[in-house]
Amino acid sequence: MSDFLQVLIDGILSGLLYALVAAGLSMIWGVMDVINFAHGEFLMVAMYICYWMGFMLGLDPIFTWIASGIFLFILGGLTYKWIIKRSLGKAAMAPLLATFGLSMLLKNFCMNRFSPNFRLLSGTLLDGKTFEVGGAIVSVPQLVTGIFALVILAALYWLIKKTRLGWAIQATAMDKEAAELMGIDTEKIYLLVFGIGGACVGVAGGLMTTYLAVHPEVGGLFSLIAFVVVALGGFGSITGALFAALLIGLVESFTGFYVAAVLKYVAVFAIYLIVILVRPKGLFGW
Amino acid sequence: MKLSKRTAVFVMLILCSALFASSAAFAAEEIKIGALFPLTGPAAVSGQNCVNSVLAAADVINQKNPDINAPLAAGEGLLGGKYVIKVVAADHQGKPDVAKSEAERLYNQEKVFAIIGCYNSSATKPASAVAERAKKIFMCGCSSSAALTERGYKYFFRHAPTDAIESVEFVDYIEYLNKEKNAGVKTLGLIYENTEFGKHAAEEARKAAKKIDLKIVADVPFNNGATNLNSEVQKLKSANPDAVFGAALGGDYSLWVRTMKQVNWLPKIAINYCTGYQNPAVQKELAGDGNYFMGGMGYSPELAKLFMPEAIKIQDKYYTPRSSQPFDSDSIQEAVMLMVIAQAIEKAGGPDTEKVLKIIQTEEFTSVMSLSGTVKFGPDGQNVNALSVITQIENQKYNTVFPLKYKDTEPVYPMVPWDKR
Amino acid sequence: MRMNKRDKLWYGFIAAALALPCIPGVIEGSFFGHVATMVLLYAAMAQSWNIISGYGGQVSFGHSVFFGIGAYGAALAVVTFESLPWYGAPLGMLAAALVSVLISYPCFRLKGHYFAIATFAIVEIFNRLFMIWDAVGGALGLDYPILPDGWKNFSWSDTKTGYYIGALAIFLLVFGIVRWIEKNRMGYYLLAVREGQETAESLGVNSAVVKLGAMALSAALAALCGAFFAQYNYRVDPPMVMSLDMSMKFVLITILGGLGTFWGPFLGALVLIPLQEYTRAYLSHLGAGIDLIIFGLIIIVVMIKEPRGIMGLLGYFGRKAAGAAEEEGEDR
Repeated sequence: MSDFLQVLIDGILSGLLYALVAAGLSMIWGVMDVINFAHGEFLMVAMYICYWMGFMLGLDPIFTWIASGIFLFILGGLTYKWIIKRSLGKAAMAPLLATFGLSMLLKNFCMNRFSPNFRLLSGTLLDGKTFEVGGAIVSVPQLVTGIFALVILAALYWLIKKTRLGWAIQATAMDKEAAELMGIDTEKIYLLVFGIGGACVGVAGGLMTTYLAVHPEVGGLFSLIAFVVVALGGFGSITGALFAALLIGLVESFTGFYVAAVLKYVAVFAIYLIVILVRPKGLFGW
Repeated sequence: MKLSKRTAVFVMLILCSALFASSAAFAAEEIKIGALFPLTGPAAVSGQNCVNSVLAAADVINQKNPDINAPLAAGEGLLGGKYVIKVVAADHQGKPDVAKSEAERLYNQEKVFAIIGCYNSSATKPASAVAERAKKIFMCGCSSSAALTERGYKYFFRHAPTDAIESVEFVDYIEYLNKEKNAGVKTLGLIYENTEFGKHAAEEARKAAKKIDLKIVADVPFNNGATNLNSEVQKLKSANPDAVFGAALGGDYSLWVRTMKQVNWLPKIAINYCTGYQNPAVQKELAGDGNYFMGGMGYSPELAKLFMPEAIKIQDKYYTPRSSQPFDSDSIQEAVMLMVIAQAIEKAGGPDTEKVLKIIQTEEFTSVMSLSGTVKFGPDGQNVNALSVITQIENQKYNTVFPLKYKDTEPVYPMVPWDKR
Repeated sequence: MRMNKRDKLWYGFIAAALALPCIPGVIEGSFFGHVATMVLLYAAMAQSWNIISGYGGQVSFGHSVFFGIGAYGAALAVVTFESLPWYGAPLGMLAAALVSVLISYPCFRLKGHYFAIATFAIVEIFNRLFMIWDAVGGALGLDYPILPDGWKNFSWSDTKTGYYIGALAIFLLVFGIVRWIEKNRMGYYLLAVREGQETAESLGVNSAVVKLGAMALSAALAALCGAFFAQYNYRVDPPMVMSLDMSMKFVLITILGGLGTFWGPFLGALVLIPLQEYTRAYLSHLGAGIDLIIFGLIIIVVMIKEPRGIMGLLGYFGRKAAGAAEEEGEDR
């Protein structure tokens, strides 16, 4: 029984982490219909920022996620200005491929500068803290990340549904030309959306440094899972992304424990295919 | 305009490197040796250490080192300065197809005399197949897959003990603990990455475990580079084996250890195959959490202090300045291979492949960087003097615990549980 | 039949490519020989992808699966059954075509990025399943024994000429098929489906059959390239052939050269492959990853400046030179 509970908790916690990582991607995709292929590398950059701030200045990632969030906001904005804006609308897959180039650039730049070493912050405030619930063990850093995920997703949801800015974003997502006629500066909206998308992944990366090692290849699998989460949740749906991420997390941990650990990612990708074939626009897509 | 500027920079770069190369070439003739390792990609840390290690060995040979008591160290170059060793580094990115084409390029274009490589067993296979077909020498330091020396190749030599040898040693140690210390280890869990390396290691572990009726209660392969190892560790925990053999590379190793801490579980004894465990950088990041794990090693700074004083000198003089860490058990073996081939060339009187081959096949070489002190290859190309010891890590120090001949510390057994640390 | 400008270019190219190995020392055992072989192979791979994704408009990131199946076909024949690659390759092609139809039939319903991500997922699933499928070697992969040189085993040790001719044959086959498609009904159907599925249907084109046919053909040709790749590297394992990296190569080469154009895949391979091989060989000592940094930059710049790739650039210069004449011929 405690096995079951443990697997359940692990699944939910990793699901929440995936939701946090995927949130920014979901928003960008929803508003602009662009896949940012460098998403995983953004995550890596954020992790490096918090790692180095922790390593050199002794600042704990529990605070420095703010810095990585801000930096990634800027990086996201620049990516839009320099790359996305110029490739958008030119050819079907141009932004995707351009960001693929960006991902190679970032990954290998970090490889070149920081070496491929695995870097792990030790002795952080949350490091190794755990508590027990009914025989299952909950890791505090993962729990904190999970809570952050919920808070940030709620904030995004509120931003999009309840604020004037959010309405402008929605209008832009639905019909760019019409939004422009309404006096919405869609350029600014796009820039902002990319910035917010970057900031989300920046916060995710920052918090992840409390319990995961940083290395130049760290983003790869996370970005694939984020793609799957976003597509499974459906076109730009924040709630969809949350439920999809939880589903993915649970499928991963249950297959990993009860079937075979090597099959856990097979199951994750297979569940995506199955769902998407039944509902071609994802769980919450329209 | 911008483009032409970039082109200009590019041309300048090429000119500069050409200048550099030409100024380095002095009177002595160069013997080129390829160093083919994963300099980028997932295994890049280890690959870069390996190249640095080969370069360190080349410096020992090429420069005057009267302070180092090793063959070829005292004088400059080989055969009284007639030849110097030039290391040509190449990157196979951890990909077998790249390893194959880079091996061809090194032999055909760069005209290297031999290649040292490739760290990843999966890359060593096609690269050494190129060597065998081209009838050129291939020296392999640390790829541990036993299959490499079972192919009947003539031109392939390996220094490292295979995972078969290591598995037997691990099991011997458990048998010793059971007999002498009443350890009561009856069950075994295996956790290994689902790659060429991990699968081979697990296979050999299963074979070895049969010998003393160690029951395998958990057999957990995992995807390398996973985002988490929760379910894998949970599986181990619920099977609760007395002993665990692990085969995980750098990042996965630290993730594994920390996940075990998180679920508050440890076996009585955990022994690792090469890689993650023996990388000092990984242990530094793990700090106290890494304590009391064990692993098979051919080198550790502590062992070196007692048994390989010259290796320490080489490390301090040539290796650490390059890689800012001590030798590790993988990379040092690549340096050994360069020393061996250099000695063979010296004896053969020049870079003549067939003559050198004959000498490598038959002679025994002094090696100050091998634990056994000597290297000798069997007919299959495996180093018959290959020796590895079991160490236990405590406060980032590798204490040798087995075989008893090399033992310097009483092992901490069973491992100290997480909540008592 | 009168030769037009395009035919002249095509036959001229064949003659030049055939002449290359006749000059001693150019191909034989040299690094250049390796690069030339790889250019032809990757051009053929990219062209096979171009059939479904360029002409058919279904951008797939899953072609490494078919490539891998072909590679395993050849390798299983040689390593496991100790037979000849000549039997394995066609079986691999058949298997790949079959798998492609089975996968694509449901997936063609997906639109845009949903389709793209589904193909990513398929690559990951195949990769990981092959990693644990011990009957095909699992993670250990399949290693070729050393066989006597020659056409029978399609294996050579110290010369690249055989491989070069083999790659050229595959190149000519794939490009020939595409030339044939372009001029035939199938090509018009494909383009019609790409430009608008509904319109095409209303004109009596069975779009599902056209797309599945194109996919099967594309997969079979990719598998043929895979079989060559296995023969060339004496080894197959899943990360080597069935990975996202490999899939991206199909895509990048074609896009760089020019999506949906005849010469695009060749031009893309002609630029990217030598760049990849030579930068890795001669620049990697500048520090890890320099070659890949340059690579990434080029991709970004091409996508920003000219998403139609090199063909787009050529078209631009061509039009400039010819004063907007012959626009038609350059575009397609």
